Amino acid sequence: MKQWFISLPGPMGVKVVVAVIVLIVGLVALFFFYDWIGTNLLDSGGTIG
Amino acid sequence: MDETMAKSTERPKSRSTAVVTRVVRIVGWMSIVIGVLILGFVAQQLFVTTWFAQQNQAALVEEVESHFTQAEITEVEYVFPSSIGTSGQGTVTPGAGGSATDPGAPLVPKSRTVLVESTPEKGTAFAIIRVPTIDRLKDGWTVVEGVGVRDLRNGAGHMPNTPLPGQPGNAVISGHRTTYGAPFHNLDELVPGDLIEVDTALGTHTYAVRETIIVRPTELWVTEPRDGAWLTLTTCHPKFSSRQRLVVFAELVDGPNWEAIYA
Repeated sequence: MKQWFISLPGPMGVKVVVAVIVLIVGLVALFFFYDWIGTNLLDSGGTIG
Repeated sequence: MDETMAKSTERPKSRSTAVVTRVVRIVGWMSIVIGVLILGFVAQQLFVTTWFAQQNQAALVEEVESHFTQAEITEVEYVFPSSIGTSGQGTVTPGAGGSATDPGAPLVPKSRTVLVESTPEKGTAFAIIRVPTIDRLKDGWTVVEGVGVRDLRNGAGHMPNTPLPGQPGNAVISGHRTTYGAPFHNLDELVPGDLIEVDTALGTHTYAVRETIIVRPTELWVTEPRDGAWLTLTTCHPKFSSRQRLVVFAELVDGPNWEAIYA
């Protein structure tokens, strides 16, 4: 993690901004992935057909 | 000589130890990451989705109240399917002008005037479902038009192409059982005779549970039209799985259209 952060391009400020953006995008993607699994396996809403 | 021998046997040992340590470390970190992801999944599905659904409920209740004041209510002539032999039961009921024992009398389709409200737009909250015997539904849960993924995130969903609650036929409402507020979480607790109330623009319609069954998700027959006025509730079964469907059939026992349909 630390190495990944150090390897980010630009000065420290840019590294922090890039890291935060990557984190947010990752969390949003994870949220959608969870939702997709939940809808398909856990609870589809009980619809028929 | 002895020292050299000792060094040469130590080197491979420390190398293998380092490899084992590295593998254990990787497996350990992977287990932690997988554990956190699974916990995150459980938290997101059970708590985050429910939080969002509950936040939406307040706004949806306002939407329902607004729908009650704006919905167009009309009186329409309803012809009973069984009186024209289209219900699938194949019966023909003589109308007011005829008699079952008089073969010469003309068969008149049985019809009554019922109140009908305008169909709400897809995604609009238009009704409130309440089950006094189930804690989660005691205070009511909004019903939106449509059973798409987005519709069901907000509340229980009314299946388009089926009558609205309180109208003749088979009104079908689906709802989540474990996520997004899980309005139908304890639907399996319903037993024949339990009452279900649905508030619509027409008024409050009371249904009595007649039967509870478990079917495959593809069994569309449960949504087919029925004689009289019915409410069919569907949800996932068992809890925490979408493998099957729990279906509750309830029949209208009171409400603005009850007399026109059953009396």
